[in-house]
Amino acid sequence: MTTSTEPLPDRTAADGPAVVVRDLHQHYGNFEAVRGISFEIRPGELFALLGTNGAGKTTTIETLEGFRRPSSGTLRVFGTDPYGQPAALRGRTGAVLQGNGLMEDLTVRESITLAHDLVSGPRDVDELLALVALTDKARIPVRQLSGGQKRRLILAQALVARPEVLYLDEPTTGMDPEARHTTWRIISELKRQGVAVLLTTHYLEEAERLADRLAIMHRGEIRVEGTLDGVLASWGDRITFRLPEEVGTDDLPELAGAEAAVGTRDGRLWATYTVTGADVESRAHRVVSGLVAWSAERDVVLRNLQVRGASLEDVFLQVAGAADLADQSHPARLG
Amino acid sequence: MGPVRQTLRLARTEFTLFVRYKTAWMFLGLSLFMFVVPMNLPNDPVLGDIGSADLAMIAAMGSIGLIIGIGHPSNVFTARRESLVLKQLRVNGVTPGALFGAMTLLVTAMSLAIAVLGVGLIYANSGSLPQDPVMLVLAITLSAVSMSFLGLCITPLVRTAESAQMAAMVPMMFLLFTGGSIMPTSMFPDAFVEMLSFLPSTAAGQLAQASYTGYDVFSGYESATRAGFAELWVAALPAVGLLLLWTVLFAVLAFRTFRWDPRQP
Repeated sequence: MTTSTEPLPDRTAADGPAVVVRDLHQHYGNFEAVRGISFEIRPGELFALLGTNGAGKTTTIETLEGFRRPSSGTLRVFGTDPYGQPAALRGRTGAVLQGNGLMEDLTVRESITLAHDLVSGPRDVDELLALVALTDKARIPVRQLSGGQKRRLILAQALVARPEVLYLDEPTTGMDPEARHTTWRIISELKRQGVAVLLTTHYLEEAERLADRLAIMHRGEIRVEGTLDGVLASWGDRITFRLPEEVGTDDLPELAGAEAAVGTRDGRLWATYTVTGADVESRAHRVVSGLVAWSAERDVVLRNLQVRGASLEDVFLQVAGAADLADQSHPARLG
Repeated sequence: MGPVRQTLRLARTEFTLFVRYKTAWMFLGLSLFMFVVPMNLPNDPVLGDIGSADLAMIAAMGSIGLIIGIGHPSNVFTARRESLVLKQLRVNGVTPGALFGAMTLLVTAMSLAIAVLGVGLIYANSGSLPQDPVMLVLAITLSAVSMSFLGLCITPLVRTAESAQMAAMVPMMFLLFTGGSIMPTSMFPDAFVEMLSFLPSTAAGQLAQASYTGYDVFSGYESATRAGFAELWVAALPAVGLLLLWTVLFAVLAFRTFRWDPRQP
């Protein structure tokens, strides 16, 4: 179903987005798994969709893959509605599904050869085996592969047809660190070649390394979206220190552009200032200067003073509403 | 890549996998067993020199596609759907037509291979050979294709390969027991026998017997007479038409109810 009246990009536009999602809603009975999300992915761009289990990421990918008709909203891949996998999109899109959809009784080479023989203009089988480091496993049955090796085989199958759009649903799950880095290199090279990539992952480091833009979904909605630097900048810098024994929680100074909170960690009180503002490069310095001046005036030492930018994990946990659980503390908000 | 080339390529893989699946060998064995069961039965003459045991063995020709066609596709398509293989094939650009086509090609090829063995067994038992091999091939092919689609119709009803095997037994046993190859249909009430004559298994069994014996058996053994080539084909047309009708019906049902994804919509 398409409800949007906005004009969609022409599929022939060379610099236009390869994937367009506008106000996508997806229902399962009375349950609304996806609630009006919108994003675009351009050729050569990797868009990471993050979120907790059940946030709606896989439903979004499956709708883009054409397995589900949207309850409402508009999807276009190269200007074409992907529902039902129209012939116009076959071979132009590839996917690594969340599970391993492999025929376990075939050998590794037979699996890739099958995928190779089913598409037009495929990549060479030996080249693919080498790319995903499975050359030495080519003759063994798929059922004997480890979880990480199976993910690499699925990735090889997804790349056979030289897709222009690639959906990667947790592609590195089960991989050892070396295989994960190899996969990251492959994905980076695909981006360089102009492939538009949609990635979902639970490894935030993966998104930090690969994503040009990212979104964090929670309960079917996109709560945060932007470039990594943009998201972290808007989330603020953190300045923490152990609260001096001679200072009460009410004695902490109020500083412009910073919000203070006190929490308990290792049986001690810790103060945290979250610094926000447009002057990303100097805002932490301004607040630290204020704190140092305040400590000198009070003749106290700010022990274990740390300044750090927000991490993607901070943002993720906040969005998921799990920050309190992660900290194991209940901060009193001040200022 | 065109659907025909996809179908042929997938059929090759289906053959490779069939050889590696133990359950598939069980269906082959069962269909061959149907020829062995009547071998030592009393062979009282029914149609000229052709005895009742010979006719039962010939009727088993019509059961081959039934056993392999219902048993194998329902089993493997359910297992592949639940393990996301179908979904992965779809994102790799495979069409439902190619998947179904490959499976029916495999079942047909396997059915014809078993039929060759069956001809050998019948020849060893009574020294007779098919009078109209083309009609026999048509009977086995139509039976294999229609039953493959019936097997594919079972997959949306079940969630595991084990439950698919159980569910497949219901139509398989019904059609086997009412097809005349295991027990004579004359033991059923006349009205029921009349209804059974519209089943695909009955039509396939009659076509097999007619092609093998050269007798027009479509109206029953009592009135059966030896028929010439053209005469036999004319007499066979209603049975061929019936099998084609069942094939179309099961194919439409299979396409309309097919699911790629284990998740319910």
